[in-house]
Amino acid sequence: MIRYTFTRGVLLIAGLLVSSVLIFLTLRVFPGDVAQLIAGTQASPATVEALRESLGFNRPLLVQYSEWIGGVLTGDLGTSQLSGASVGAELAEKAQVTVPLGLMALVIALLIAVPFGILSALWRGRASGTALSVTAQALAAVPVIWAGMMLIVVFAVWLGALPAQGFPRGGWEQPWQAFRALILPALTIGIVEGAMLLRFVRSATLQARGQDFVRTAAAKGLTRNRALVQHGIPAVGLSIVTVLGLQVAGIIVGSVVIEQLFTLPGIGRMLVADVGTRDLIKVQSELLVLTGLVLVIGFIVDLIHHFVDPRQREAA
Amino acid sequence: MFRRNRRLAVLSALAATAVILSACAGSPEPVKTSTGEPDLDATLTVGLVLEPTNLDIRRTSGAAIEQILIDNIYEGLVTRSQDNEIEPRLASEYEVADDGLTYTFTLNPEVTFHSGTALTSADVVASYEAVRTDQTLQGNAEFANVASITAPDATTVVITLTEPNQNFLFTLTGPAGLVFQSGDTTDLQTAENGTGPFTLENWIKGSTITFARFDAYWGEPAKVAEVVFEYIPDFTAGVNAALDGSLDVLTAVDPNLAPQLEDSGDFTLTTGRTTDKAVLAFNNAKAPLDDARVREALRLAIDHEGLVEAVGAGATLYGPIPELDPGYEDLSDVAPYDPDRAKELLAEAGQENLDLTLTIPSFYGTTVPQVLVSDFAKVGVTLEVDAVEFPTWLEDVYTNKDYELSFVLHVEPRDFGNFADPDYYFNYDNPEVQSLYADALAEVDEDASAKLLAEAARLVSEDHAADWLYNGATITAVSPVVTGFPQDSINSRINLAGVAKAAE
Repeated sequence: MIRYTFTRGVLLIAGLLVSSVLIFLTLRVFPGDVAQLIAGTQASPATVEALRESLGFNRPLLVQYSEWIGGVLTGDLGTSQLSGASVGAELAEKAQVTVPLGLMALVIALLIAVPFGILSALWRGRASGTALSVTAQALAAVPVIWAGMMLIVVFAVWLGALPAQGFPRGGWEQPWQAFRALILPALTIGIVEGAMLLRFVRSATLQARGQDFVRTAAAKGLTRNRALVQHGIPAVGLSIVTVLGLQVAGIIVGSVVIEQLFTLPGIGRMLVADVGTRDLIKVQSELLVLTGLVLVIGFIVDLIHHFVDPRQREAA
Repeated sequence: MFRRNRRLAVLSALAATAVILSACAGSPEPVKTSTGEPDLDATLTVGLVLEPTNLDIRRTSGAAIEQILIDNIYEGLVTRSQDNEIEPRLASEYEVADDGLTYTFTLNPEVTFHSGTALTSADVVASYEAVRTDQTLQGNAEFANVASITAPDATTVVITLTEPNQNFLFTLTGPAGLVFQSGDTTDLQTAENGTGPFTLENWIKGSTITFARFDAYWGEPAKVAEVVFEYIPDFTAGVNAALDGSLDVLTAVDPNLAPQLEDSGDFTLTTGRTTDKAVLAFNNAKAPLDDARVREALRLAIDHEGLVEAVGAGATLYGPIPELDPGYEDLSDVAPYDPDRAKELLAEAGQENLDLTLTIPSFYGTTVPQVLVSDFAKVGVTLEVDAVEFPTWLEDVYTNKDYELSFVLHVEPRDFGNFADPDYYFNYDNPEVQSLYADALAEVDEDASAKLLAEAARLVSEDHAADWLYNGATITAVSPVVTGFPQDSINSRINLAGVAKAAE
């Protein structure tokens, strides 16, 4: 058990280090830099060069990388090259929008995927089951941005029930407005992610249906579906936990698009803006935090899986 | 620097519909009545679009910073009025010697920094010496011909130049002319220690910047206790905020959304002039644009009146100098709308089937490129639009000059010098223009200098060095309780000195 956790932990750290190098290097390929942006369009090349020097861009990449990663290791995500603000503090501030948004989207996705996924498996072969899986297939293929625009048109423009965009300027000091502002964005991500998850739940349920223990339960007098619901579902739950890491990644990507569409002051929108201003230290720290989040969730999922699934426990 | 122009058309359309519906839903608020007496304890709330990235006005370029900080937080020896006239500020008076080389400024007495320290001529010398010697400071290039900056006594500053420079005083109205306390250690990125009528109270990034009245101000004190700048990047959201009563003033109103505000009865709209020049740059050094006939054809192909209509605000402009700058002249005769002549010119140049690429920073939206694509198509020119991020534009177009056509809004006043600089991204090199511009700068008499500039500007337009699609205008919605809010040039300067809010 401990050895398993240890090896997983080492893999996690290695994964983070490799990602940090990749993030750092890919960002250096982008055209344009923050020095040009600060200097603007009346500046001479000499001014831009002087700014570059003072911002430390002319130092070897290895020095720049170690300075950054050294800070990250001691819990300092660095400061914005443009505003001088602490990256960690800004991330924490924007997380107040993105984290609730992500959680709401996740809950919505699960509320859609689990009941309907199981139903569509139980109804397999019936018209209603086919209808469910076709709908899920179609929804899963919908681009998030399009789904968002449709929801805006229906709920904000036609019905006027929810705000079309924006977040209250007081933030969570106005809890009701803040919550309302997140409903449509969370629905958008939740529906698309939920439709994808639904297909997964369906196939996991179908698989469980064919398992020995379900068959045995059925043989003992339960109907096949009842046997499935009573004995098969825990196995399905485990499969859902397995894809949770992927789900979180999907929700993060979705939030980048959706925060843009709904003008929400969250991490996704900040990330896009920072890439737009080439505030590279900020961008690389933000990306590393997001990557870290996905990797850590993957790590936890692995551990849970290991704890819960007796076969894996014995194999280790 | 540059001002954001338009957003995604689709989103705007959707959002506009939302506004219309929400406007219909609620009953209009009764028009506010006021006693007319200014409320000295009032808080003025102003909606703006572009938030500064930091507050270090000495290093960071950008209209968003200058717009709120100059005259309100920081002051220079001189400043400029809404119509770009130079006025004394920290200096009670100034004198330019007849040879145009020596500038003598007399400081106002009793000026103090927000820290409480009194301002002396030594602070001015230190601030200007820094601009002269530190390449990373804004205005360093404009200080190139400064020979010396001295302080003969505590209230006098003398600046001598190596050669006359008609633009020098104007440079001092910008970031380069601001006075900072000598030896101060304030972190200018997030804090300030200016001399202006307001102090910085707080800055919530991504949301608001708040100023408070500086009670020990040396001049006439501000008439409002507090000013809150609300940054609302989305035009529709800005209009919504104005309509729900959370703003006293909304600047940079999208022309297409302006009627909403007007119909509400809660706002008066003003249209202000600016020095924003929407420049369609031609890479003058790159074939086929090195052929003046091709450049002329492109200009004649553009229906400028139609373009201004599509943009929704502003005026046509046919040369490099806008009305608010010295040297302006109506040059509409140089490039009248004439698609037939454009086709002839292209045929003469052997370019009947021309493919060109327009590089445009993506935040300018699609209105302008769409008009250009359709206008050019009518004369057989296929225009491909390459929308890029602004830093990419800076790298590819501005620095590497790797482009054919480019569009950006040049907002700086008196920036004609870019056409006299063969290294600027226009790649425009005309020695006659350069020498006229040099003469205009060296000319001590203002009117004579303006005349030389006008002559140079005509040459530039006749060479078709670029096309000037329009001269931008800025729409401001002001609540009737607010008086004295500036109207012109507020995209680069919002002087709050005379602004008052009536008691309700």
